[in-house]
Amino acid sequence: MNHGAIGKYALWRRRLGRERELWFWSGLCIIWWVIFFLIPIYGIVYSFFNYTPGRALTWDRFVGLKNFISFFQSRDAWKIIRNTLVISGLNMTVGFMAPIILALQLDELRHGLFKKTVQTISYMPYFVSWVVVASLAIALLNSDGVVNEVIIKLGLSDKAIPFLTEGKYFWGLITVLNIWKTVGWSTILYMSAIAGIDQNLYEAGAVDGINRWGMVRYITLPSIMPTIVLLFILSIGNFLNLGYEQNLLLGQSTTREYWEIIDTYVYRYGIQLGRYSFSIAIGLMKSIIGIALVFIANGIARKYTQYSIM
Amino acid sequence: MKQVNYIKRTPSGTIFDIVNVSLLVALSFLLLYPFWNQLIISLNDGLDAQRGGLYFWPRVFTLGNYEYIFKTAGMLRALGWSVLRVIVGTSTKLFATGMLAYITTVSYFSFHRQLRKMFLITMYISGGMIPIYLWMIKLHLIETFTVYWLPSLLGAYEMMIIASYIASLPDAMFESARMDGAKEFKIYLNIVLPLCVPVFAALGVMVAVGHWNSWFDIMIYNPSGNYDTLQMELRNILIQSDKVKKLMQDATVGSDAVKSAAARITSQSMRAATMMIVTIPIVAVYPFFQKYFVKGISIGAVKG
Repeated sequence: MNHGAIGKYALWRRRLGRERELWFWSGLCIIWWVIFFLIPIYGIVYSFFNYTPGRALTWDRFVGLKNFISFFQSRDAWKIIRNTLVISGLNMTVGFMAPIILALQLDELRHGLFKKTVQTISYMPYFVSWVVVASLAIALLNSDGVVNEVIIKLGLSDKAIPFLTEGKYFWGLITVLNIWKTVGWSTILYMSAIAGIDQNLYEAGAVDGINRWGMVRYITLPSIMPTIVLLFILSIGNFLNLGYEQNLLLGQSTTREYWEIIDTYVYRYGIQLGRYSFSIAIGLMKSIIGIALVFIANGIARKYTQYSIM
Repeated sequence: MKQVNYIKRTPSGTIFDIVNVSLLVALSFLLLYPFWNQLIISLNDGLDAQRGGLYFWPRVFTLGNYEYIFKTAGMLRALGWSVLRVIVGTSTKLFATGMLAYITTVSYFSFHRQLRKMFLITMYISGGMIPIYLWMIKLHLIETFTVYWLPSLLGAYEMMIIASYIASLPDAMFESARMDGAKEFKIYLNIVLPLCVPVFAALGVMVAVGHWNSWFDIMIYNPSGNYDTLQMELRNILIQSDKVKKLMQDATVGSDAVKSAAARITSQSMRAATMMIVTIPIVAVYPFFQKYFVKGISIGAVKG
């Protein structure tokens, strides 16, 4: 009567025996997953409490949405949101177009060795750290740096331009540096899209008598448009992840009004000032909007192109 | 590369080429010159460099800045931690993530799909900077070397790339090894690892560069500075001017040779030399590994 059950049990046991070793290794992976991924997520609940390290989390410390509300009531809130939107917006427009233009330019080169050299040079800044890029920027752009030296020598300005210490230059500075660091690297996907264009199109174009500029305008650019659209949509998902390393390294206390973004604010309040619950609440808001943006971007990509990231 | 031979050479085409090439030469200059400028400042006498006017070639050549940096104890230790972090971090991550990737491709294992999904989630969700920080404090990982490699031991992105590579290998190889009674770990060591060398090389370079370049985690997890790497030293020189003074004071207790060198060092030349020490390893290995870098991003791009 119990044959079926025993059979099932024996089957399971045999299966488990066969998979025993794999369960052991994946068990180790799962332990790591629980410790370094799952448990930190639980930390999000601190944002609804008034948390102090070392004290038990009891219900009388529950404050509901107070931490979230006090962020929006603070004077900083709107400036931080503004800075985040402006810098990210600049990255998504100017910063997005730069590698497309560079890829088109590289493709038009007749000389293979020159093209390779420019590509190699342009990838390089991607591999140095932000600390190095910030050091370069500070060394070259400060009041006695080489840039100001040349500007004064050429008579473009009679005194050094305070690129680093005056807030109004910060958005421009950070956008230029973001482009400087990533423009070459970001051409790779465009270059591989360009490599896939059917050569007959260019031949047909030549027969129709269009010139070089026309080839770029009417053949190359339309051919890589799907790649451009896809990468643009996917960049929506990263809209709030604009990178905080560069802002922390280049921002000075005098220019804070222009460089403080959500991530650096979370760092300052959480780690430097120890207001854990408050900063977790801000980080959580950012993550929720971020995940929503990823889903929206992915949805659009799936609908209008045949690709998706999930 | 595009064959444009069938296009007639016209005057407008020539102008197009001239404009294009000059713009690219200008861009290359803008990308390279900052490094060159700092290289010559690092090779120039510190006090002399303060006079300005150094554009393309050192005026008073010296290796004193480098000599000085390598004589201060802090920098050598920082270099040691940097190298150790790169070696430990890269090898453990590749080995462990490779094993994870292999398990997710073993089709008879009843949990392989779920395991893969568990790790894919980690690409989209995380506890966030502060919850992770608080948890690291509780785990007593603050002020340790372990915090550099253990929390990033298993990577979902690397797992996907290695798994897709393993999946492209003939299954019969693993099956016959299993028939012969080989343990899964043996199969991983003796079959998977040797066959995955290309993908491990591509990812390894990426992971190594990431470890070499990282500084933010050092700043928050090891604030005492006991495990500072070169990036962190450079960042300290950049942000805190008192750090430079301290390093310069270190030299006043050294030998006479060090003392006389210290008199000619400025924070500008010190920063330039440190920056070069941080950058040169990357620039030196980069041309050889460029194809792996490019391969790395291309593998990642076709995952959709």
